[in-house]
Amino acid sequence: VSDIPKQITLEEWDMRYKQLEKADAYQPAYGGLLSRHVKDGDQRLLNLRFDNSSAALRLWNFLLTEEDRLHEARSVSRKIVGTMKDLGTVPVMAYCFENVVAFYPDGAWWIPCIMELGAGLLEIADSLGIDESFCPVRAMLGAFVTEAHFPIPDLLICSVGATCDDFSAIAQRLNSLGHFIFWWEIPHRRNPEPGETIVNLPGGFLAPKGQVEFVKSQLERIKTALEELAGEKLNEQKLSTGIQEANHVRRLLNELRYLTFTAKQCPLPALEMLIAEMLAIHFCSDRQETINVLKELLEEVKSRVHAGKGVLNADAARIFWINPVADLQVMNLLEDCGGRICGTEYLFTHALDEISEDLPSLEALAQMALADPMAGSSVDRAQRICTDINRFGSEAVIISRIPGASHCALEGRTIAEIVQERFGIPVLEIEVPPVTDSMRPTVRTRLEALIETVKAQRNKEKIKRRKE
Amino acid sequence: MKVITYTCPYVPAEWIAAHGLSPSRLLLDHVDSASMFIRTEGVCPFVRSFISEVVKNKNAAGIITTTVCDQMRRAFDIIVRKCELPAFLMNVPNTWQNPESQQLYIDELKRLSLFLVSLGGKLPQNDVLIKIMFKYDSARKSILAAGEYLSSRQYAEAIAAFGQNGTDQNTDLAISTKRQANCVPLAIIGGPFMKQDFALFDMIEQSGGRIVLDATETGERGMCTRFNSHRLHEDPIMELASAYFGGIQDASRRPNQELYKWLQREIVTRDVQGIIFHRYVWCDMWHAELRHLKDWTDLPVLDIDTTGDNETDEYRTENRIHAFLEMLQ
Repeated sequence: VSDIPKQITLEEWDMRYKQLEKADAYQPAYGGLLSRHVKDGDQRLLNLRFDNSSAALRLWNFLLTEEDRLHEARSVSRKIVGTMKDLGTVPVMAYCFENVVAFYPDGAWWIPCIMELGAGLLEIADSLGIDESFCPVRAMLGAFVTEAHFPIPDLLICSVGATCDDFSAIAQRLNSLGHFIFWWEIPHRRNPEPGETIVNLPGGFLAPKGQVEFVKSQLERIKTALEELAGEKLNEQKLSTGIQEANHVRRLLNELRYLTFTAKQCPLPALEMLIAEMLAIHFCSDRQETINVLKELLEEVKSRVHAGKGVLNADAARIFWINPVADLQVMNLLEDCGGRICGTEYLFTHALDEISEDLPSLEALAQMALADPMAGSSVDRAQRICTDINRFGSEAVIISRIPGASHCALEGRTIAEIVQERFGIPVLEIEVPPVTDSMRPTVRTRLEALIETVKAQRNKEKIKRRKE
Repeated sequence: MKVITYTCPYVPAEWIAAHGLSPSRLLLDHVDSASMFIRTEGVCPFVRSFISEVVKNKNAAGIITTTVCDQMRRAFDIIVRKCELPAFLMNVPNTWQNPESQQLYIDELKRLSLFLVSLGGKLPQNDVLIKIMFKYDSARKSILAAGEYLSSRQYAEAIAAFGQNGTDQNTDLAISTKRQANCVPLAIIGGPFMKQDFALFDMIEQSGGRIVLDATETGERGMCTRFNSHRLHEDPIMELASAYFGGIQDASRRPNQELYKWLQREIVTRDVQGIIFHRYVWCDMWHAELRHLKDWTDLPVLDIDTTGDNETDEYRTENRIHAFLEMLQ
């Protein structure tokens, strides 16, 4: 089996899979040909390019079999928790129970992309009054109506307050359709007033002690609800172990991110990195397997970095990407245009930062929840982004707007201004709908222009250095 | 007296006034919504107008925004970067059914107090607050009572003027206008109005209807409930929080079934025959309620969406209202 890292098509993956099989490469129970998922309707896979490592194959198969895992959990009477919007906090608690599995119905926002609009979820959302002026997460409504993508959870838990209006409104619409929702409040994170006790949150944010206490009180409510659902008490010991496991995932991801974003030659494509990062928020419904998948990916990346191998040209423009893309193909497109990802902020940095293991568990989780970039100001978010730009050496920033999302319309400008004030690097805002096919030439042109600008800047600096 | 401006109904005017400052709830102008932004797509026209108004405002000593809607929360980020006016972002919880959320609201009132003091306000004594609360309560009672004798536009404007000027306004509301008989009684439901939106009341009357329930944020729905005299003397801040945070029903609440309970009660009491749903394009909170409202009520519902800065809006709206009322008559 050739070990030269490269990106390959789905068809090429099938050929490579056979080679791996012959070589007796390890495959988990959910493994198999990637192309089998196309038969389930995942048409977008035909238009993507994938990393050719067996670690990446495992990652993709793990992602694309999540629905099976959820149905299996239901069939063995495990309790299913649909946790919404908080992106990383509630699952840490939920996975502390023996018989609970948690997932984000929000993840349905990628179904229109993966199934190339074939599932009809957006049409259902339209019929419920949630049209295209809302974020593509409206696909979640359709998924609840059809029940074709995930089992209806035994309990829905949704954070509101300092969240985007789209999601809050869509969740309320779901509630009005008869789905009970356990609401909890995440307040807007603010700087401490004079005289208030200051708490340093993960990620470098600050908050007053009172806000941490408030969020802790909300998590206490969630804990009680989960205990009632599971019929099991969640003591400090179990919660602490759950945090340690979550931190294990986060440490693996942090190492993976650092190695990938700072390597001379990009060792793992943007698409696989995006999916790997997403595993942190709810472990793709299997925490231990998430750890296994990430370990294998990390080993692959380490070996590639060690060997000086990569999947892209060494001169690829180093791009910091803000917000997740509704169409996964755009990550391929960036690389086609000569870019590589060196830094990301996909709206859940709080799910990547390690949770304190020195504090009482609920307090540590409350601190983590408050560190959500969405809970604070755009200025805070921009500053965190600046820290990471500096850390990863990004040369330009792409702010990928989510169509209709209430936050994207206003925060992009603030973030762009702050980044430019600080680094003077180019910032590009693009909008990425669930399927970009019709606007691909426009997006491509904009990405190419950005990358040309980065490379022209490099040349200028080279000339300047020579003159000096 | 220093003026403190705001738009959110969950900001209690009494609290500002008790600090010796003058509360003024902004009534925004459509024309401002086109300025300030290069790109307007995705931004609610009300928020655009708000930012524009705040940036050019020379009279206010401070501005209060709240977290009730995401775009207003983010407007605060822009305001603090773009203008010198001292600004305060008040956390108003979306959840309301647990004591922690209610306490958070009260804590935020106390934090607001520090901001007001920093602008020259005086920390209020209970007796001062109680006196002011009675004064406002009495003024609100007069306005609500006058609703019966005023045209729907006059009534809506009186409520908005009360928000703008507080108890300092000329409360001579006895101007009796000749009201048309046999008008179709309607409710208008939605977020806040801007100045130009009051023309809707005239359009409706000209087409043979009359708003008997102004359930917009600028109207009756945005007014707090009456204070309980006994509780007010016992704990005025708690009573203030109860009347505002507990009393104003909004689409943004999670869950928001209390809004529908309130609507049900008022619709029946006032014998409403049809509903006009007024919303700004890109206002997710209200937009998402439209279909639910249609499912919830047996009454006909007319959706009036506006970009806030489009002249053709007016003609389109007029025609739609006319057709709606033709159907109802």
